[in-house]
Amino acid sequence: MDKMQKRNADVENVRQRPAVAPRVDVFENEHEYLIVADLPGVKKEGLKLDIDDDELKLEGTRNTSEPGALVAGECRAVDYRRTFVVPEGVDREKIDAELAAGVLRLRLPKAEALRPRQIAVRAG
Amino acid sequence: MFQYVGDFDNAFAFSMLDQLRRHMDRAFDEYDRSTHATAARNYPASNLYDTGAAYVITAEVPGLTEKDVEITATQDVVTVSGERKNEVPEGYSVHRSERANVKFKRSYALPARIDPSKVGASLTNGVLTLTLEKAAEVKPRQISVRAH
Repeated sequence: MDKMQKRNADVENVRQRPAVAPRVDVFENEHEYLIVADLPGVKKEGLKLDIDDDELKLEGTRNTSEPGALVAGECRAVDYRRTFVVPEGVDREKIDAELAAGVLRLRLPKAEALRPRQIAVRAG
Repeated sequence: MFQYVGDFDNAFAFSMLDQLRRHMDRAFDEYDRSTHATAARNYPASNLYDTGAAYVITAEVPGLTEKDVEITATQDVVTVSGERKNEVPEGYSVHRSERANVKFKRSYALPARIDPSKVGASLTNGVLTLTLEKAAEVKPRQISVRAH
């Protein structure tokens, strides 16, 4: 009974809008992978990029404010969400994201080699 | 879906087709339909709002900036045209290409007359917002009631 109540409370608080996968183009050259995604209406503050293991999660939320009474609507009030599998050999520290005119350009540079990382030793 | 052969009476058969269609629609829901076949006839996806004194049209045009769109307006119709060329950047090979090149010209017929000299347009984050002030004679007027 308690668990059911808790679940209902969670359901009330979830503000998530339905999400669709944005359209993307994926390119590659010898230096990097380039992902270009259409995210109209998404501002920098609404864009979230997370890398977990080998998955790159892209989430773009947007504030669609209604300037008046809706007479006719074709735009879906949705957010954008898509997950990519990051191939091996990508230098994660140097991933670069640029958002302009509602289009995201994600650059995933390829690591030259699997470079050993310096591990700082703390005096203990 | 087709669980029981005996359940094939007319009404039920249609409702199963309906279910099939809904399942298919939901499958497509997962993807951004902005350049889907039927939607492509109506590119860009737009909303029309009525603020009372003006109409506001928002249109999703990712990748376009002010210099890429052309807007003309008459008393009843607003036309937006533009083009987005997605060239493959030089030296890259293509793994996936979902973003289409678009060349569009779309006219919006408005429910009431507007003042074409008072059209405002802004384009940010790939969303075009047009503010179309209604013609003076069409604007809703406040009617005050006199006490007697």
